[in-house]
Amino acid sequence: MTGTPAPADGWLPEVDELRRRRRDAHALGGGQAVARHHERGRLTIRERIDGLVDKSSFNEVGTLAGQGRYEGTKLIGVTPAPYVMGLASIDGRPVAVGGEDFTIRGGVSWSGDRKKGGQGGFIEDLAASYRIPLVNLIDGSGGSVTSITKRGHSIFPGVHGFERSVELLGKVPVVSAVLGTAAGGPAGRAILSHWSVMVDGISQVFAAGPPVVERSLGQKITKEELGGPPIAVDHAGTIDNRVDSEEACFAQIRRFLSYMPSNVWEAPPALTCEDPVDRCDDDLVRIVPKDRRRPYNMRKLVEHLVDRGSVFEIQPGYGKALITALARMNGKVVGVIANNPMVYGGAMDVKAARKQIHFVEMCDCFHIPLIFLVDVPGFMVGRDAEAAATLREGMRAVYVGLQATVPTYTVVIRKCYGMAGMGTTEKNGLEFKIAWPSAEWGSLPIEGGVAAAFRRDIAAASDALAREREIEAELRAMASPFRTAEAFGVEEIIDPRETRPYLCRFIDAAQARLLTTLGPKAKYGVRP
Amino acid sequence: MANVEAKSEVSGSVWQILAKVGQRIEPGDTIMIIESMKMEIPVIAEQGGTIEKFLVDEKAAIAEGQTVAILSA
Repeated sequence: MTGTPAPADGWLPEVDELRRRRRDAHALGGGQAVARHHERGRLTIRERIDGLVDKSSFNEVGTLAGQGRYEGTKLIGVTPAPYVMGLASIDGRPVAVGGEDFTIRGGVSWSGDRKKGGQGGFIEDLAASYRIPLVNLIDGSGGSVTSITKRGHSIFPGVHGFERSVELLGKVPVVSAVLGTAAGGPAGRAILSHWSVMVDGISQVFAAGPPVVERSLGQKITKEELGGPPIAVDHAGTIDNRVDSEEACFAQIRRFLSYMPSNVWEAPPALTCEDPVDRCDDDLVRIVPKDRRRPYNMRKLVEHLVDRGSVFEIQPGYGKALITALARMNGKVVGVIANNPMVYGGAMDVKAARKQIHFVEMCDCFHIPLIFLVDVPGFMVGRDAEAAATLREGMRAVYVGLQATVPTYTVVIRKCYGMAGMGTTEKNGLEFKIAWPSAEWGSLPIEGGVAAAFRRDIAAASDALAREREIEAELRAMASPFRTAEAFGVEEIIDPRETRPYLCRFIDAAQARLLTTLGPKAKYGVRP
Repeated sequence: MANVEAKSEVSGSVWQILAKVGQRIEPGDTIMIIESMKMEIPVIAEQGGTIEKFLVDEKAAIAEGQTVAILSA
């Protein structure tokens, strides 16, 4: 027989072509490009997805997208689209995952009928439609002026916009890992995330890279100086966490998602707790020094309270006056916000305020109860703090806290003063304030307020300093937390050792109420 | 022998220098105390080494992130 395939072959020739096209897709930018990528210490997008998701769980979508090369009608090969994506599982739960393939044109976008990923595209549609988390593995430098020559016109900003990325932030967890040099759109997408991470040595992120900076400002600067982790994570807080390897990055992504529900219509995933709920660590009764000028290790305090090994700190290198961490109490996910007395005595500076704003909004969005461990003398003071707009950013933190509707537990460890202290309570719910015997509170710390409030009295005294100290001592005696408890101005004072069982009892009791308020949260008003 | 810079995480004034030049410091040891926001904030060694020199004196005003001592690791 000639001319047509034997019937027994069926569609095998076409399946062979499918296999060949898939092989081209798996070859990415080709052997040399992949080797160069590896020499730079970076994994390919396919290696990244394999390293991140459950074994054999990746179902690719858009494998064949790319640019076919033909001789007449005969296929010579296909250059894949520089974005790999699909459906996968992490810890058995479905996720949408995708990322740029840097080995093809540096991951710069490709013009097909439908975008695979990036701003908009199938991967964001998948996350939105199926209400599953989105993981962006970012390794692309965004738009290029060369697109004008391809299209014959320039693109209006936002034609391929961020609207889907913004929508996702209120519906499903979005994680972004910066795994190369991200500028422009990909850098913007990294910010439009609930949590982001970058890798020392291979990752930089900025609005525009060194050539643009030099042309615009005359500054010669390396990409690491401009947007490496010391700037982007520790100094600016542009990206949340930094790690030292891509493998550590994948482990942190899995860890972050382990605290998250798949979407805002689900409750956060609870685990069986092996750490005794009634564990009362003796160290807690001694951890706060009697001398009010002496700081202590708030991270150790947090570890004593929550389920052992459950702390995952968000932004540990940024805004160090505040500690924000996801953790578990009796297996239930909680968000811990703790002032850090080791840095400015725990005062809220502009960085701490920004950190608190994002963390509170994220926990509120995903119905994660908040525990404030309060030791805050107020907003940071001084010229630098005022110049940085600490008051405005601090009040934004207060505003966001007052909009939150998730159950909140305020545990006053030591100082709780002023507007920063006000922002640690749940005004839309129970307003449950628990204190340790070491707690103190007020409009402002006594030592800061006496000189102003008793100026004439002090000035009239023969020994002004002695009179000031005398007034301080009188006021401090009346500032005992037990006196406020008598007035039921604070709901309970507990032995520090009882904190874990006490909180676990109430957090367990709030779980049923959490289920009654699942879903997206509407936000009204104008953030100051 | 690499030099290691010990930095203060906070602005404030140097209240007390606890370590001495030539002293061996282990990670986690307190090098000096900064007075900031009416608190005694320790400058803690992130890496071990021997104190080569101090770049500040007691009572000096310091800025956030300022290097206060050099250690040889």
